[in-house]
Amino acid sequence: MDKRGLGGMDRRRLLLSGAVLGGGALVAGCTSNKSDASTDDVKGASKAGTDNDKPGKQVTIGFSAPAADHGWMAAITKNAMAQAKQYSDVHFEAVEGTNDVNAQISQVQTLIGKKVDVLVILPFDGKALTSVAQQAMDAGIPVINLDRVFDSPLAYRTWVGGDNFGMGLNAGLYIGKALKAKGVSSPVIGEIAGIDNLELTKQRSAGFKQGLAKYGFRVGIRQAADFTADSGQQVMSNVLQARSHLDAVWNHDDDQGIGVEAAIKQAGRDEFFMVGGAGSKHAMTEIKADNSVLKATVVYPSNMSASAIKLARLIAQHKGMNDLVGQDLPSSLTLFSATVTKENVDQYLPGAFS
Amino acid sequence: MSQQTSPPGGSGPLPATGQGSPSGSARQTGSSPGKGSGPSFLGHMGRVRNLGLFVVLVLLCVIGALTSGNFATRQNALVILSSAAVIGVITIGQTFVIIGGGIDLSVGAIVALASVWCTTVATQSYGLGGMVFCALAVGAVVGLINGLIISYGNIVAFIVTIAMMASARGLAERISDRQSQVVTVESFNSIASTKWLGIPLLVYILAVAVVLGWVLLNRTTFGRRTFAIGGNQEAARLAGLDVRRHTLVLYVLSGLCCGIAAVMLTARTTSGASNLGNLYELDSIAAVIIGGTLLTGGRGSLIGSILGVLVFTTITNIFVLNNLTTDIQQIAKGLIIVAAVLIQRRGRRTATP
Amino acid sequence: MSAPLLEMQGVVKEFPGVRALDGVDLDVAAGEVHCLLGQNGAGKSTLIKVLAGAHQPDAGHITWEGEPVTLPTPTAAMRHGIATIYQELDLADGLTVAENIYLGHEQSRLGFTQRSRMHEAARQLMRRLGHPEIPVTREVGELSSAGKQLVSMARALSHDTRLIIMDEPSAVLAHDEVDNLFRIIGDLTAAGVAVVYISHRMEEIRRIGDRVTVLKDGRTVARGLPARTTPTSELVSLMTGRTVEYVFPPRPQSPDRKERPALLEVEGISRPGEFHDVSFTVGAGEIVGLAGLVGSGRSEILETVYGARRPASGHISVAGSVLRPGSITAAVRAGIGLAPEERKSQALFLHSSIAHNVSMSSLRRFARAGFLDSRSELAATTEAVRSLDLRPPDPTRPVRTLSGGNQQKAVVARWLLKDCRLLLLDEPTRGVDVGARAELYTLIRRLADSGVGVLLVSSEVPEVLGLADRVLVLREGRVVREAAALDLDESKVLDLVMEGSSA
Repeated sequence: MDKRGLGGMDRRRLLLSGAVLGGGALVAGCTSNKSDASTDDVKGASKAGTDNDKPGKQVTIGFSAPAADHGWMAAITKNAMAQAKQYSDVHFEAVEGTNDVNAQISQVQTLIGKKVDVLVILPFDGKALTSVAQQAMDAGIPVINLDRVFDSPLAYRTWVGGDNFGMGLNAGLYIGKALKAKGVSSPVIGEIAGIDNLELTKQRSAGFKQGLAKYGFRVGIRQAADFTADSGQQVMSNVLQARSHLDAVWNHDDDQGIGVEAAIKQAGRDEFFMVGGAGSKHAMTEIKADNSVLKATVVYPSNMSASAIKLARLIAQHKGMNDLVGQDLPSSLTLFSATVTKENVDQYLPGAFS
Repeated sequence: MSQQTSPPGGSGPLPATGQGSPSGSARQTGSSPGKGSGPSFLGHMGRVRNLGLFVVLVLLCVIGALTSGNFATRQNALVILSSAAVIGVITIGQTFVIIGGGIDLSVGAIVALASVWCTTVATQSYGLGGMVFCALAVGAVVGLINGLIISYGNIVAFIVTIAMMASARGLAERISDRQSQVVTVESFNSIASTKWLGIPLLVYILAVAVVLGWVLLNRTTFGRRTFAIGGNQEAARLAGLDVRRHTLVLYVLSGLCCGIAAVMLTARTTSGASNLGNLYELDSIAAVIIGGTLLTGGRGSLIGSILGVLVFTTITNIFVLNNLTTDIQQIAKGLIIVAAVLIQRRGRRTATP
Repeated sequence: MSAPLLEMQGVVKEFPGVRALDGVDLDVAAGEVHCLLGQNGAGKSTLIKVLAGAHQPDAGHITWEGEPVTLPTPTAAMRHGIATIYQELDLADGLTVAENIYLGHEQSRLGFTQRSRMHEAARQLMRRLGHPEIPVTREVGELSSAGKQLVSMARALSHDTRLIIMDEPSAVLAHDEVDNLFRIIGDLTAAGVAVVYISHRMEEIRRIGDRVTVLKDGRTVARGLPARTTPTSELVSLMTGRTVEYVFPPRPQSPDRKERPALLEVEGISRPGEFHDVSFTVGAGEIVGLAGLVGSGRSEILETVYGARRPASGHISVAGSVLRPGSITAAVRAGIGLAPEERKSQALFLHSSIAHNVSMSSLRRFARAGFLDSRSELAATTEAVRSLDLRPPDPTRPVRTLSGGNQQKAVVARWLLKDCRLLLLDEPTRGVDVGARAELYTLIRRLADSGVGVLLVSSEVPEVLGLADRVLVLREGRVVREAAALDLDESKVLDLVMEGSSA
């Protein structure tokens, strides 16, 4: 339900008992459904192609991110790793993901101690990790800040991330436009947010509000889930009780969306349409099939970590970007949050996370 | 106090130990809530004992009906009951374990593991029966491991189940590779959408589990021994009870309840994921405690636990119906929990010597 | 005698529905040992709690050094110099001896405890109590009952105490420890401290008491009687309305006892450090007593017979078949029942009713396919309760409201219901008042007459001698004498028991 809950899970993992883990490895080996894991790994990474991709100075990239306990986050780590593997001149040093800011601080300190050439950090909480990132910068290690922003520009060389505000904005614009086209005058619009005390949730909601405002609409009911399917199911089943008629719903996250959709099916409701968030494979398949209330999703690209690895390597090797003029890399890079609908879904499906 | 001490006939307060040669303390305490665990009186005493919680629930319903036109509908009642079904079944197992003097902190993780295990591609290929069996078996086996370590390894339940909480969730993450596993077996998903006579199957499952649990706790030798072992483990041992085996069975029971809950939750969310059931251990323990069960064991009520679950789910429902923000929900939830416990305690206060 | 240190007049304390104190008068002079006598339920505990500031009287006056006082809190009582040593010692097991002594009034400066000063002061107190060997840094949980009592006493002395109330202090002590207790009491009274001493043991009252006040049903029935000269019969009749102290039922005159086959045969059982090569038999209908000091192995032998401990060697058989060692289940199945030493913590389910306590070991009898037939359970327990004359005879009452004697009957009833053939009794009359004791003795004899074998452990020698047919005297884990009870007397047994410990 809140950050501490996620942090708790991480501590539990540290307590893993050896015996059970051994059994688990065995079980995972026989029953896991990731039979196509090897091909999965590459789809978020870009193949080598330009001058910059030719082998250069050997560099070590340190990588730290929150626990991969969620589809999107798992894809981030996986894509970063896959991208690093593309380069023979990159040594990739990743630490075990954690949702405990305290543990993440120590991990980053460890990476600093190992004197990596460049750091890619996706902080669990940007504010909490700012000072340790600044320590790295002070120690002469450039930091690529991934997604969740540090508090101070002194703490990073380059920021690469998604556009949470833009994500909400695009969802709002899509819904507004669709309702306008249908000629609905005063629609009831629902919003199922993610974990409410995260900065990104606030930005998404602000963007959504503004997108709707363009068409003179506003959010009728807003409730927060916690990015898990069971919370999505629980919250949505109650929301459907609260509003006997809905026109549209934006759900911030496709993982929790599985539960949200289940609740809608169980309640037998279909008078509205829904827009998802983040862009999971499951959601895109549903959009393509066009047989559920889910009509669109706004992407929050999980391949941003691959780009970050690319940039990190260039920074460490003191190179610029080919397609830009100038010696130095940009200081920030905001990735576009595309709206995926039935029309363009084929274009995005390969890059979706599962 | 007088309502607590009413004898089964309901003929008013008991006279304080008037007979024989009473001990000093008997004269001073003079009440008899202890007999609440007696099977022949539980119907009556149970109701009285949980009166406070019942009042809380009624108050909540009044608030719900006043603040939202959508609250007092048949359909909303069914939504509350289906929401309560998953955590309710878990809480039944938890109630047994806590009355028996233990605690199970691994319930949420067992739910996650059972849910993930029964939704792998391989398991799904066996269809509905295979998936349900898998979830129940995983729950029972994890419970068995808990029980074996606790009763034969002589390690306190708190430690064993907290370790299991980590291991089981870790294993769930490993099996699922931290991805949501969507259930494609439609007959499985229909567990959550099937309705008989307009009432969801999940509600029937909860009802059957409550009735079976109540009978097991209050009408069988097993239940009686559970109270005894939780009340005084040494005395139970010296009375010739097989405390170890009984404790073992309690944890298997709790694991099995988690397996059933995993089936329900997985069908509800149409997916298995390692992050399902997060913090369910706290929710179920909180429900047991506000339901009036002693955390130290030996005394408790299954009906109280279920009322506790209903209080929680009703609170959430009212919050959403009124579109309250998360922060206000959390504040109010905390206040209501404390208030419920205070009202519960008021209802059963006895004279202190 | 000068003005009394403490005077109580007409003190009344009511609890909902009960008048626990109904006009208590008591006066205690500085430097005396004032004994408080009364059956369980006479109001002694409530009186103590009033003096300790834990209960507020509803009526009556308390005068302290001639001034009227109220004792609204335990702290207030302590400030006046009144300290209480409860029967259930109120110590924190996880803290050290010194920390317990100074709990609540730590020696501190600016909020920092001064360990070394505290330790030194604690050491002095332990020396004064005659036990300098108890390290003040030891955790209290590791001490024996006697050791804990000393810590409790040291805590009382650490305040400027003028009056110490001791609630059955000798109950947890072995013989020589009692002597030390009496020596300490002597030192205290010599220094002008008054002691209110509560005990059931007449010989103790004779030995150290100055005056006696008798309570009955919350009232003072006799006040300030001379402790040494008042006849026992008078005190007992004041307490109970009866005229005798211990009444043992007559032994049946059946000389054919020897011909009866042995029910329990114990052959050469040993447990290192506890007892060595112990052999004996108990016949059906026979009461065998084990006499010995605390630490002589008597309770350990009982628990080994019951399967709660596993013998290192030797074997135990019941009616000819050898028991699986270390298995309570096997012992219970063979028809053995135990009434353990600590009734509340080892035998009773205090949350439950009398009926549930009684039926606990024979639940299967009232169950069909695991389902309890509570009607037949209630009927059977009611009958068992009636046959033992357990009062009140309502088995639905919570067991914790019973007096000590009746709780003991509930435990015995449990084994009667189980049709047990051999009953092991560990300190069956501990905490049981005088009147109820006689009843228990009669009950035990009646059980034996019905064919049940009884193995009895008691730290009160007269009880073993009066009740048992045959007595085994234990010293340091060995049987030093086995004889018919009629061939022994108290001093002979004490000689046998002491001989080893003084050597």
